[in-house]
Amino acid sequence: MHPLLRAVCLGLLAALPVACTQKSKTVRIAVSVPLTGDVGTEGQGVRRAVELAVEEANKSGRFPFPLEARAFDDRADPKEAVSAANLVASDPNIVAVIGHYNSGCSIPAAQVYARSGIPMISPASTNPKLTSQQLEESWVLPKTVFRVVPTDDVQGSFAGDFIFDKLNMRKIAVIHDKTPYGQGLAEQFKDRFSGRGGQITSFDGIAMGDRDFKALLTRIKADKPQGVYFGGLYMEAALLMRQAQELGFKTTFFSGDGSKTNELIKVAGKASEGAYLSITGIPVEHLASAKPFLEKYNEKYPGVDVKPFDHFAYEATNIVLDALTKVGPDRAKVLEELRRTRFEGILGVTEFDDKGDTKNKIITMTQVKNGEFAIVN
Amino acid sequence: MLVFLQQLFNGLVLGSIYSLIALGYTLVYGILMMINFAHSEFLMIGAFMGLGASSLCLNWGLGWPGVVIVFFAAMLGAGLLGVITERLAYRPLRHAMRLAPLISAIGVSIMLSNAVFLWVSNQSLPFPAILPERSLTIGPVAAGSLQLLIFATALLLMIVLHLMVQKTKIGKAMRACADDTATAGLMGINADRIIAFTFLVGGALAGAAGVLNGMYYGSIKYNLGFLPGVKAFTAAVLGGIGNITGAVLGGFLLGLLEVAAAGYIPNGSQWKDVVAFVVLIGVLLIRPSGILGERVAEKV
Amino acid sequence: MPIKISPLSKKSPPLSTVGFWVVLAAVALWPVLCGFNPYALRVAGQIGLYVVLALGLNFTLGYAGLFDLGFIAFYAVGAYTAALLSVRGWSFVPATLAAALAAVVVRVWVGIPILRLRGDYLAIVTMGFGEIARLVLNNWDSLTNGPKGLPRVGEAIWPAKIFGFTLSTNTHYYYLIMGAVLLSVLIARRLEDSRLGRAWVAIREDETAAQLSGLPVAQLKLAAFTISAFFAGLAGSIFAHWERFVTPESFVFWESILLVSMIVAGGMGSIKGVILGTVLLGGVPQMLQAVLVGSQWINYRYFVFGLVLVLAVLFRPQGLWPSRRREFEILDQEHAAV
Repeated sequence: MHPLLRAVCLGLLAALPVACTQKSKTVRIAVSVPLTGDVGTEGQGVRRAVELAVEEANKSGRFPFPLEARAFDDRADPKEAVSAANLVASDPNIVAVIGHYNSGCSIPAAQVYARSGIPMISPASTNPKLTSQQLEESWVLPKTVFRVVPTDDVQGSFAGDFIFDKLNMRKIAVIHDKTPYGQGLAEQFKDRFSGRGGQITSFDGIAMGDRDFKALLTRIKADKPQGVYFGGLYMEAALLMRQAQELGFKTTFFSGDGSKTNELIKVAGKASEGAYLSITGIPVEHLASAKPFLEKYNEKYPGVDVKPFDHFAYEATNIVLDALTKVGPDRAKVLEELRRTRFEGILGVTEFDDKGDTKNKIITMTQVKNGEFAIVN
Repeated sequence: MLVFLQQLFNGLVLGSIYSLIALGYTLVYGILMMINFAHSEFLMIGAFMGLGASSLCLNWGLGWPGVVIVFFAAMLGAGLLGVITERLAYRPLRHAMRLAPLISAIGVSIMLSNAVFLWVSNQSLPFPAILPERSLTIGPVAAGSLQLLIFATALLLMIVLHLMVQKTKIGKAMRACADDTATAGLMGINADRIIAFTFLVGGALAGAAGVLNGMYYGSIKYNLGFLPGVKAFTAAVLGGIGNITGAVLGGFLLGLLEVAAAGYIPNGSQWKDVVAFVVLIGVLLIRPSGILGERVAEKV
Repeated sequence: MPIKISPLSKKSPPLSTVGFWVVLAAVALWPVLCGFNPYALRVAGQIGLYVVLALGLNFTLGYAGLFDLGFIAFYAVGAYTAALLSVRGWSFVPATLAAALAAVVVRVWVGIPILRLRGDYLAIVTMGFGEIARLVLNNWDSLTNGPKGLPRVGEAIWPAKIFGFTLSTNTHYYYLIMGAVLLSVLIARRLEDSRLGRAWVAIREDETAAQLSGLPVAQLKLAAFTISAFFAGLAGSIFAHWERFVTPESFVFWESILLVSMIVAGGMGSIKGVILGTVLLGGVPQMLQAVLVGSQWINYRYFVFGLVLVLAVLFRPQGLWPSRRREFEILDQEHAAV
């Protein structure tokens, strides 16, 4: 082997342990999300929200130590997520983790955090397994997993009732994006809506990243549903609305908090007018305590839209910071504090149940009116 | 019947975009026998160039001339990117073993999409509509003016390409190189220049496809190239890679297939890629070199 | 079966002995060397799994020259088989054997019809199978729980247990994986210079000539396919037990591309080269994560990865550490080209 190559390889091996044992006195909050790759856009949003919260805390002067938000990249890849979790676990200055984004990443990574007793709050993973795995017999570790985002069951059922009772619609087509989030939402909606006596005219999955849904919409249109419920994220939702309009398919679109972003309105344009989007908690722009968040976010990151889970990440960070003020920078104490947390923030009041799921199950329905979201319930 | 016509139209529009991308794969493959993995990023960069040009044209209030400028900018940008990529990352590997340029292309592809992510934007950006969109109804078919534009532009570009390859001198030189680069060199053809030209043309087609993509779907993002790239490559192989007519045929076939699967099979929209690949495998089992491909001796 | 490869039929030279023992010692003592740092162990284990996969794929791609772009599908089959069985109470060893068997069976079933395809047509068909596998895992909700992954709520994959010893830490899994790596290297070494190995190379170099020399080409290709699937199934089962959660997100097209890149960048058909390529390409992003964490530069890690990939092939088109046999061929090709 070439000597240069050999040197590179040895250097590579040697760099690993050195790199992960740096020490400093700053207290750190880790944010483990996809920073690169296909979901990088959303992950960067979560990171921005966490950094914003930490920056505010530093400025407020309520901590005797400097705080740092430290970002880790999981690339939305489960095994990289576990690797990143191990890197988090090797840093003793980290008191808590905000992350991960995808359920597929959060679930295996949670085991690593539990082993090191690091509290983890997911701002975006909605698969029930994430918290329920802690109750299983095979889980011999401490319970360290929390999440501020409600599992899929809450919103889907709410939308089912809303459409059935308030809008008096009886025929709905359902589409989902074949992700744990989107499919979970859609299934919950379907069960509730058909349980109430509504008719689901069709139930289809689409491929994430796909952009042409005209064939599907043409088929759905033939069933003449009164509305279309979509479980998924804003980009696919916007394209569905846009393409339905192009096909002359006049219907009402419904979706969840993953779709409620300004980008939806930007991309779908007029096609988004009249669409209903449910969100958890009280919508940020209508909550006095949340206004500053949006303003500060826009001020710090001009030209960037708030992504669907950014305010959850901001809230999660503030919950951790609140615990830090009360008990100081100690993982075990922070964990204890989180279990009995009662935090009033931009999502309303957050408390965790014995699994670690948020008890805050308030849902608000919004509708796009004149290019803005208005509350309708 | 009404639904069928609408679906047929949906499939043709989708297919025309696939065909346009597939042509770029096939042109390069025909001459260099390499899968240009970075082609999908040319598409993405083209879309971003088109976005920049569109914003300018909107500011200046240009209508139809604006459309021409946007296409020109995107095609030129993506074409030049193709030439530069070939020069820096592929040409040094021309006599290396066959998989080396493929790996280089994968590396370039990763670099380009990450470069846009890092230095241009990691957001999905709305793609402005230069022309006011109009919904037309042709008989029972709802056809947006945009869809017609896409279909027409794609067809126009394909015809121009066909004429160029078949009728012009440089087209003849391209065909000669595709046949046998070494012999073509002996006949006084500057193979390097022809290869660079091929990348220019292929990149330009990808750039045009990028703009069409952006216009059609209304938004662009750093990772938009990957999926259409894989699909178009599949289309090129389906038609017989290296064969220009084959790429067009494969593109339309794939578009129609996907639409048929999503439009007629219950739950088909989540299985449509499976259907497309099963058909591809089936075709290759019967015709191992694609529908119009010729049997060539190959080595890895 | 007279295959004459005269200057090459000599045994490949022994690994430079000092270097070999140093590497072996470093691997064996790695947990101590890195101070049982969880990240260093985790990354080393992850790279180890990639080495097993890459050595497996090397039989198909490196020796037999069959361009396979969907190899990750068989890793997925292994992982899902192990997960499904573990949930039903199977323990590690039988689940792993079943996983390897399942990967082999699927591979043979897929392989038989497509073996007559050549070169890039084979590549696209294998890519198709890779995508089909992922989509089936994602869409067949009743078996695989779809995008939500396995195990379902209320089920669990139990940690691996070998002869009554339960593997619970990263260190345990590190040694388990290194055992699998060692096994793969031994098998690969034994096969490399065997009649089988040389016959594969003959097919890679000129399929028609190999056929005319009386080699049973189809069976030989199928053998390469089968052996590589065994490695994928083995690695898949270890992965499932280590992670204790599998979703289709782990088995995307990108992973197949990455494996091919590792082999080509390292040196096709060269065991040392494949290992080196895997360590380099598997290690770079992880090393960057550790080095760049805490700075904005962390966003650059895959840009750097792409750059490393391009530079590696540009400077060593034959691979970082090509096999001797391959080096001779490259010389030959250069003569032929002149």
